[in-house]
Amino acid sequence: MRRRALLRALALLGPATAFARPLRAFADPSAGEPASVDTLPRLSGELTLYLGRGEGGLYEDIIAAIEKRNPDLELRIRRGPSTALANTLVAESRVGRLRADLFWSIDASSLGLVTRQVEPPAIPASLRDLLKPGFRYEHWVPISGRFRTIPYNPQKLNVAELPQDVMMLPESDARFGWAPAYGAFQSFITAMRLLEGDDATGAWLEAMAGKSSEFAGEFGVVMAVSRGEVDLGFANHYYTLRLKQGRPDAEVELAFTQNDAGCLLNASGIAVLRPSELATDFVRHLLTSEVQSYLAREAYEVPLMAGVPSPEGLPPIGELKPPQVDLERLGDLQPTLRLLRQTGVL
Amino acid sequence: MSRFSLSHFASALVALAVLAPVAVLVVLALGADVDLRGETVRLVANTLGVTVLTVMGAVAIGVPMALATAHCNLPRRRLWLALLAAPLAVPSYIGAFAYFAAFGTGGEIETLTGAAVPAVRGFGGTALVMTLYTYPFVMLATRAALSQLDGRTVEAARSLGATLPVVLLRIVLPRVRSGIAGGALLVALYAMSDFATPAILGLDTFIRSIYVEYNAFGLARAALLSLQLLALVAFVLLLESRVGVEREAAQEKLEITLGPRARTVLMAFMLVVLAASLLLPALVFGVWLWRDGAGGFDPWLAWNSAYPALLAALVTVFVALPVAHAAVRGKVGRWLERIATLGFGIPGIVMGTALLYVGLQLDFLYQTVALLVLGYVLRFLPLAVGPVRNCVARLDANLLAAARNLGASPFEAFTRVSVPLLLPGAIAGGALVFLEAMRELPITLLLRPTGLETLTTELWQVYEAGYFGRAAVPGLLLIAISSVALVFMLSGEDRLTTRKASRGI
Repeated sequence: MRRRALLRALALLGPATAFARPLRAFADPSAGEPASVDTLPRLSGELTLYLGRGEGGLYEDIIAAIEKRNPDLELRIRRGPSTALANTLVAESRVGRLRADLFWSIDASSLGLVTRQVEPPAIPASLRDLLKPGFRYEHWVPISGRFRTIPYNPQKLNVAELPQDVMMLPESDARFGWAPAYGAFQSFITAMRLLEGDDATGAWLEAMAGKSSEFAGEFGVVMAVSRGEVDLGFANHYYTLRLKQGRPDAEVELAFTQNDAGCLLNASGIAVLRPSELATDFVRHLLTSEVQSYLAREAYEVPLMAGVPSPEGLPPIGELKPPQVDLERLGDLQPTLRLLRQTGVL
Repeated sequence: MSRFSLSHFASALVALAVLAPVAVLVVLALGADVDLRGETVRLVANTLGVTVLTVMGAVAIGVPMALATAHCNLPRRRLWLALLAAPLAVPSYIGAFAYFAAFGTGGEIETLTGAAVPAVRGFGGTALVMTLYTYPFVMLATRAALSQLDGRTVEAARSLGATLPVVLLRIVLPRVRSGIAGGALLVALYAMSDFATPAILGLDTFIRSIYVEYNAFGLARAALLSLQLLALVAFVLLLESRVGVEREAAQEKLEITLGPRARTVLMAFMLVVLAASLLLPALVFGVWLWRDGAGGFDPWLAWNSAYPALLAALVTVFVALPVAHAAVRGKVGRWLERIATLGFGIPGIVMGTALLYVGLQLDFLYQTVALLVLGYVLRFLPLAVGPVRNCVARLDANLLAAARNLGASPFEAFTRVSVPLLLPGAIAGGALVFLEAMRELPITLLLRPTGLETLTTELWQVYEAGYFGRAAVPGLLLIAISSVALVFMLSGEDRLTTRKASRGI
């Protein structure tokens, strides 16, 4: 069903329909607007892609569509958790046996590790320039964004009472849900460390620890919010949107803080480990209007390119104020773990 | 008979192979410092506590189920047995997540029926869910031990006036003690090395710290923590080694005749266990399937799951033979067997990572089915060694000598005496390995050839993304294939036992 929809989209969607709801915040004049897949050369040859997670087959649908359009492309895909694939790539590169041409990771911290330890060559400027200035990294290409959000239960909580500053949340007497063992949460705390310093972050964790229930993952957090087990929580935006896709009447809404780690815009991205024209052209396919709008529509991911409609259920992106953080530094997790342990959160 | 034989040599090789990943861990752990700030005590307490509780629960369910399915006058015993063993086919994260989602305020049970049910979480919840998915280890091991029990001693006790409960407690159970302990050991190792259940139900155990470090790119620290966990595993192995082994020659099969009321109670208990372990997750995933709709599904995934698992089962049984053979021949062999047992206590992610490093040194193995199968074999070897050892113990050298004296060629003696005696254990052990390999996730993710997707990798992928509806089809298929395989293997085992009995061996 979805696959057919995308194939149809790749075949029929002209740029005209994709530009129905342009993003003000990302409509940067210096960033080129995404090209249609029709303008790209056909891909042919062999490529090995290490693919982090894969979003329940949604990325697979994209890859299937790319394969269908390029019958001469032989794509070998290895799926796994992004962190496990990053660890694998580091082990491979240590003995000089790198097996992947590309690494598509769901989180920037895994890309940060690979950038430091595998040292992939720089991304060609022609690719980098397709993205908004804040998202032009030297060794990897962001593909889509994910916001940190505060999912809350509207039955339990009035959103107007919520502070707009994540650092003020400990003053609330609400009950929180969080997933401290989960990678996205640790990236959030790492961002807080980078923005507010270790001492303020430690104090925040200590104050929050007494008010928070722990869950294994952030989907669990969102479910607990919707059942009223906790009043609000910390989770990536798409978990809430996906829960509501299955149960539109679920009691959970999204709140956003401003200019702090609470509304961090993290990114999934792709690193080119063994450069070739084919690898670059493959990445170019992921930055087309068709793929970008499919990611936004079906996976609720935030497009990082101008002119692509944002996912349904998110406020207009222009109203959101994510902080300025160097995403590559989010891979510096050991000090974060130390803080989480010192405060008894982990 | 020489004290050290070819099987000792082979067994020592196997023990070395199991120790290779441990050596990799030691190398990886060099220079690591883990500052857990006194956390270690709590982690050890949680890990051991939940292990003890799970073992108690698994014994409480597994032993009665073994008696019921093998020796009580129940209709369709083989079907009951297959169903009661089927929870072994349910991946732990599927079972745990079903419980997480079904129970508690606002859970699926409350949503659908309006009845308030308490949450299944934390210490008790983890032990409960782990019990439901590990009791078949105890059931199968106890069943094997019971099959070697001589029914005439029970008859004698009954004729002297002992009631059924007294007979069970004082005559039957003490003599299958080592079988129960063997099953309990597997449960304990499983409980110590399973990640998903405590993680989903919110209990802080050793392995969660290992995952946290691994995911935060602290490989050295993850390795050091793994070594600490292995010390705990070794401690449990030592405890098990203190349970003695008694053997007797079964002359007559034990039969227990229950009255109608006892039968009803027993069958109700079995139904409750099945409802809790199989029906509940099936219903939860069914509800999600109905709510979210199914995604596309590639039927080749089933084959991709089955053939490495099948290969693993065959190789493991083959490797288990010398280990079991050496183990029944004395102390050295028993110690080699215990080292081989260590593998089931090494968490999958740790075993996978260690073998990934081994594979990178041996390029022809890296990302091949062979390396994946090796990972399964090293981890699941103890599952096969137990049942095979029970059969090897009955393989008397005199029997072979007798066959040869009667004019059989060595080959004929092997095929007509050794093989029939070994097959039931080989089939039972192979079945266990097959089931565990089918539901295994972390080793599969790390070691499989690029592009090989299986039912469990598909389940992982949709589960991680929160598309539970799409987990229904591969999840149910995984359970279905495993159950069918189980029925085949159990009926094969039954047929062999019957044939053996009719030949009077």
